[in-house]
Amino acid sequence: MQTTQHMLRTGRRGTLHEFGMAYGDLRASIPKLGLAWTLASHDVVSRYRGSILGPFWITLSMAVMVLGIGFLYSELQHISLQETMPFVALGIVFWGMISLVIIEGCETFVHASGMLSQTALPMFTFVWRTLLRNMVTLLHHVVIIVAVLVWFGFWRTMNLPVAVLGLVLTLLNIGWMSLAVAIMSARFRDIPQIVTSVMQFSMFMTPVFWKPDFHSRLMQLVLLYNPFFHMLDSIRSPLLGVAPALHTYLILIAMAFLGWLSTFTMFALTRRRIVHYL
Amino acid sequence: MKAPPVSITVKDLTLRFPVYGVDAKSLKKHLARVAVGGQLGKSHHGTAEVTAITHLSMQLKAGDRLGLIGHNGSGKTTLLRALSGAYEPDEGQIEVEGRIAPLLDLSLGIDPSATGLENIRLRGRIAGLTAKEIDAKMDEIGKFTGLGPFLAMPLKTYSAGMSARLAFAVATAVDADVLLMDEWIAVGDADFQKIAHQRLLSLVERAGILVLASHDLDLIRLYCNKVMRMDAGVASPVTDIKKLSELMAEA
Repeated sequence: MQTTQHMLRTGRRGTLHEFGMAYGDLRASIPKLGLAWTLASHDVVSRYRGSILGPFWITLSMAVMVLGIGFLYSELQHISLQETMPFVALGIVFWGMISLVIIEGCETFVHASGMLSQTALPMFTFVWRTLLRNMVTLLHHVVIIVAVLVWFGFWRTMNLPVAVLGLVLTLLNIGWMSLAVAIMSARFRDIPQIVTSVMQFSMFMTPVFWKPDFHSRLMQLVLLYNPFFHMLDSIRSPLLGVAPALHTYLILIAMAFLGWLSTFTMFALTRRRIVHYL
Repeated sequence: MKAPPVSITVKDLTLRFPVYGVDAKSLKKHLARVAVGGQLGKSHHGTAEVTAITHLSMQLKAGDRLGLIGHNGSGKTTLLRALSGAYEPDEGQIEVEGRIAPLLDLSLGIDPSATGLENIRLRGRIAGLTAKEIDAKMDEIGKFTGLGPFLAMPLKTYSAGMSARLAFAVATAVDADVLLMDEWIAVGDADFQKIAHQRLLSLVERAGILVLASHDLDLIRLYCNKVMRMDAGVASPVTDIKKLSELMAEA
């Protein structure tokens, strides 16, 4: 049995103590990863309960989307399918991961209000639940990625370890974003609406479907200051056999560091209040 | 029995609820408040606070079965939630030695579209059991529910009594040192109530400490050996159950 053996809860004892307790929450959530996994996979299974194909719908609907948009953009932009399809396929799959982790982050604590208000489960358990749920979805999409990379021959030129590094850096970044919107959404119910529209707009500002074009000054700025471009590029380019720019990694690392620093501070300061927000 | 002593120590506990009304939850209101420098009507003092528990101290050791009594809103449930570790004290401290099992809400973690068996697993995992422990207990839990083949059916096909049986069986399948219960979980038909009573008694026997909040004085007499009366967040001293009537007379 892994339930708490010893529990000590106290009133506020200064900021340092709050950080200690927040760190304690994070550490206590590690043995609870199994529970987070159970909840995450239950989420996926129950979403497709009663359908004949079940979670295979995740793969199928993404495949339809990728094929449709791939052909369409190839025609519209007069670029060969060879070039468009893998680009669009990887773009949609990984953009989906990035945006859903952040959008679903809004519900991380709100949906867990029952468990948060009557158990001592670490709050980070539910952050992992959101992340793991989207990892399950990503695993369903791997089939499409592999199919596209093999069909168009990119598997020969791709740099998988670098792409995995990009994925890790991206997860680190969307992790803090997800936690940040989780806390804010619990307090202010307008946040989910804001997050959804920001992510929708960001999809068009990020080269998900269109090729990054560095010719105009404006586009250079947009691409430099768009954090999602760097996330997407760090995963997609290596898979297409292109090395991402060095500044992409610097930005991702700096953003992960600063993001976690500020989000963890916010978590430490609001932690004991979050359950009352719900 | 386990060697480490089971105990609950509460020192000078004060718990306040910030009340975030529907209005306060809107970002617009919050921003407007900031923008006009706090001149926006009465709500500008930030959020209202309700003090749910004031300066509560108590000490319980193994063998103590504490009954919490008091009117609605006197802070009984809040105290249980604080003891479960969900609510953080605003002042004072709570220290609990032993594994805690909060049985505050039977429907916790129950998914109506999942089958009975799946719900047993889910609820068991939330209560801190490992997958293996649940497998080991599955037969026993399944038998206790008396639902037989219905366990493979989705919970939404159950009658209210059937789902209560299932929830009760899982919720009480834990091995805990400290048992926190809100109200009495009187569920099911007369037959089930009888075996439910048996099961609760044995659970209470195994647990080191029981804290039970209820309005039913007979029930408190049946299960508890100590009582504490709460009134608007202020608690009486922990008193022997024999003095229950005197405690009530003070009201």
